[in-house]
Amino acid sequence: MNEAAKIPQDTHQKSQTVRGKARYQSGVMEYRKMGYWEPDYVPKDTDIIAMFRISPQDGVDAVEAAAAVAGESSTATWTVVWTDRLTATEKYRAKAYRVDPVPGAPGQFFAYIAYDLDLFEAGSIANLTASIIGNVFGFKPLKALRLEDMRFPVAYIKTFQGPSTGIVVERERLDKFGRPLLGATVKPKLGLSGRNYGRVVYEALKGGLDFTKDDENINSQSFMHWRERFLYCMEAVNRAQAVTGEIKGTYLNITAGTMEEMYARAEFAKQLGSTIVMIDLVIGYTAIQSMSHWCRKNDMILHLHRAGHGTYTRQKTHGISFRVISKWMRLAGVDHIHAGTVVGKLEGDPNMTKGFYDILRLDHNPINLQHGIFFDQPWASLNAVMPVASGGIHAGQMHQLLDLLGEDCVLQFGGGTIGHPAGIQAGATANRVALESMVFARNSGRNIVEEGPQILADAAKFCLPLRQALDTWKDVTFDYASTDSPDFVPSVAVSN
Amino acid sequence: MRITQGAFSFLPDLTDDQIAAQVQYCLEKGWAVNLEYTDDPHPRNTYWEMWGLPMFDLKDAAGVLLELKECRKHFGDRYIRLSAFDASHGWESVRLSFIVNRPANEPGFKLQRTEMEGRHVQYTTVPYSADKPEGQRYK
Amino acid sequence: MLDETLVPTSVRLRDEIEGAGINEVLAQLDEDLIGLKPVKTRIREIASLLLIERVRQKMGLLGDTPTLHMSFTGNPGTGKTTVALRMASILHKLGFVRRGHLVSVTRDDLVGQYIGHTAPKTKEILKKAMGGVLFIDEAYYLYRPENERDYGQEAIEILLQVMETQRDDLVVILAGYGDRMEKFFTSNPGFRSRIAHHVDFPDYEEKELGDIAELMLKQQNYQFSEGARRAFDEYIHLRKQQPLFSNARSIRNALDRARLRQANRLVADLDRELTATDIMTLEESDIRASRVFSKTES
Repeated sequence: MNEAAKIPQDTHQKSQTVRGKARYQSGVMEYRKMGYWEPDYVPKDTDIIAMFRISPQDGVDAVEAAAAVAGESSTATWTVVWTDRLTATEKYRAKAYRVDPVPGAPGQFFAYIAYDLDLFEAGSIANLTASIIGNVFGFKPLKALRLEDMRFPVAYIKTFQGPSTGIVVERERLDKFGRPLLGATVKPKLGLSGRNYGRVVYEALKGGLDFTKDDENINSQSFMHWRERFLYCMEAVNRAQAVTGEIKGTYLNITAGTMEEMYARAEFAKQLGSTIVMIDLVIGYTAIQSMSHWCRKNDMILHLHRAGHGTYTRQKTHGISFRVISKWMRLAGVDHIHAGTVVGKLEGDPNMTKGFYDILRLDHNPINLQHGIFFDQPWASLNAVMPVASGGIHAGQMHQLLDLLGEDCVLQFGGGTIGHPAGIQAGATANRVALESMVFARNSGRNIVEEGPQILADAAKFCLPLRQALDTWKDVTFDYASTDSPDFVPSVAVSN
Repeated sequence: MRITQGAFSFLPDLTDDQIAAQVQYCLEKGWAVNLEYTDDPHPRNTYWEMWGLPMFDLKDAAGVLLELKECRKHFGDRYIRLSAFDASHGWESVRLSFIVNRPANEPGFKLQRTEMEGRHVQYTTVPYSADKPEGQRYK
Repeated sequence: MLDETLVPTSVRLRDEIEGAGINEVLAQLDEDLIGLKPVKTRIREIASLLLIERVRQKMGLLGDTPTLHMSFTGNPGTGKTTVALRMASILHKLGFVRRGHLVSVTRDDLVGQYIGHTAPKTKEILKKAMGGVLFIDEAYYLYRPENERDYGQEAIEILLQVMETQRDDLVVILAGYGDRMEKFFTSNPGFRSRIAHHVDFPDYEEKELGDIAELMLKQQNYQFSEGARRAFDEYIHLRKQQPLFSNARSIRNALDRARLRQANRLVADLDRELTATDIMTLEESDIRASRVFSKTES
């Protein structure tokens, strides 16, 4: 047990707000005395609420730490300023109103902080995040700080356009219903010439995938200029469309050094008739919102690769939970976002991942502590985001993927397509057959979780590529403990 | 070639019993099922001809199968697809769609390229069958 | 197709009947409907036959699905619809229909107003009924020989065809007055040949109608006073001799009117302290105020 845990903490302190003349005497005053700790405050329907996991430095009072976070993420500075008195300061002060010890994690606390809606600019993730995470993450009295969840009022949600296509319109445009979509990231991610790259795209799409994808770091390097990639990829997409009679797409990554260059690449993708473009999370929130607006104007689907998120989402004590990123990205208006696979090679606790998927797809998220959802969140009919499952998944896991992730997602089998022993087209076919067989079996009333391997084995009887895929990857799993796991686990209720 | 539109095109052609099981799944979800046919399967041909209206309030797949058999009698030489509509808020669109009948021979598509400025190519997908008038395309 | 390995060599009927839950349905029928002895006996017979048919099917002794279409004849209000509901449930439990719902229609639901209207209308109803039971009340209205342009004939043809070719998919019950159904079958022999079971619903005895009235009241938390029950028995006797008597339906209507008069009587004295019994009880005067009594006196 660490040192901090040994100090008893009182999280039920009464309000200590200093009122009247004394409040504005020059000097330093504790945050909880300045009005940033208001345990009796009842958040308004129009407040934005943030829930942080705080780990105070040894000897720092948890309530004071929570008040400091509220202060530093809204109006406060380290000392009293008389200019506060020129404003409706009580309204603008964020208020920490609840602090709970984290179950099973001594020294950590959940702090709930309410922000008045007037603190934020409409429709701007940049402004929202500048407030909420702008300053406080480096604040000395805290060892660590993590933004766990946020609740947005409907009034604020309505200032965002959200995803341009979202799940339903995307399906309508692509004419694909009733099953997850299939994709693959072109591999190797670096080094292929445009011409060779297009070959991979053609083979994969012809074999049965709906999409192929550029990887996050494929932009415009010496081995492949972006225009080469776009031209060859669209040749491949159109050829594949003609040989299958089915709409196909490839996520052309338009991430670039400047907005001007990104727009230029997006325009070219549009001219070539692409249905979808792609950006990386690292381009920044404003650039993401700009591209979302461009996509709405240009009938384009917007795919977001969450490049870089692992630097701040993975550790439980510090950073930002991916569920918050999911909420921001739904507001910002991306149509696709990578959100985890549970069974693949990348971090993803099943419960946490279900929480992310629910945030992206449902019109209303009820509180679900087990899935890490701390707030009831209505989405006010904002379009749903299509989650993308990518990273170390293969056809042999199809029953688990469909059961865990549902049918409204994109399953991306990169290695699981391109690494097929009989070639890329065979790899794609194996995945598509596995997928269709599984959806078909589920709809026919079979229990896919239990009968999954048998359903795949039966399909492999008429599909040689699937048999080869199952043999190749039969035992591949990535079974490591997750670092980002739930704090709340269901306990066995005793009834009667 | 084999057109791979719809949810189950990579499976062997479905039997009527298999179709009925999928339809029953849709009916139990409260979705209305409809049938459409075409002899122009261009991937962007959204509006196939409707075989009657979507069937609402059915309890059993037999009603849909009755119509499918009837539709096949008239348009068995063409593509027929079955779609299920979900009217619930937030979806209000198709939930499942798959092909239930194909022409004996699927001629496929020609890819026409028009060379534009620089290396830009404009692509047009043309069904080989579209040269003939509607109704005579798969004779 | 029957899998040889699954064909049982012997069965115990008790297991079959208990497995299917038929006894519960029959008990429910007893509870729902007063009297109707002959009908209940007939339904039991049909249920037994169906049970044996099912066993025969299991043992591979039955090739085709047997014809199960029925006709229910009798005057209005004799329980035909209620029995049809239970029959749908029996057919479902024995696996002769897949869903077990009942779609109840009359001529207007099947026959269109203009040319080309009837076939889609009839088909739509048939599609909705598939997996269950289609109950056509007053089926003879489908047939109007006096009008040679009648669209009813079109509906009849579609019905006959589906009754013949889709026996697996639905069971049709034709219902109506006995004499008119007889005429209907005579002029449409196609129907007669497709009907496997005829059930005749006799009119209720006067005593049974009185019991039905008490049951209906009980279901709504009402009761007769002693005098009221005697008056109601007299009422039944008189009402039966008047035109348009429709058994249980007429009883329900009479009770609705009596409840109206009781309410009026109670409201007439606003200051009276009322017990629950007062509010539940129909008095003799509530019954005797009926026009049925005044007519006989005049």
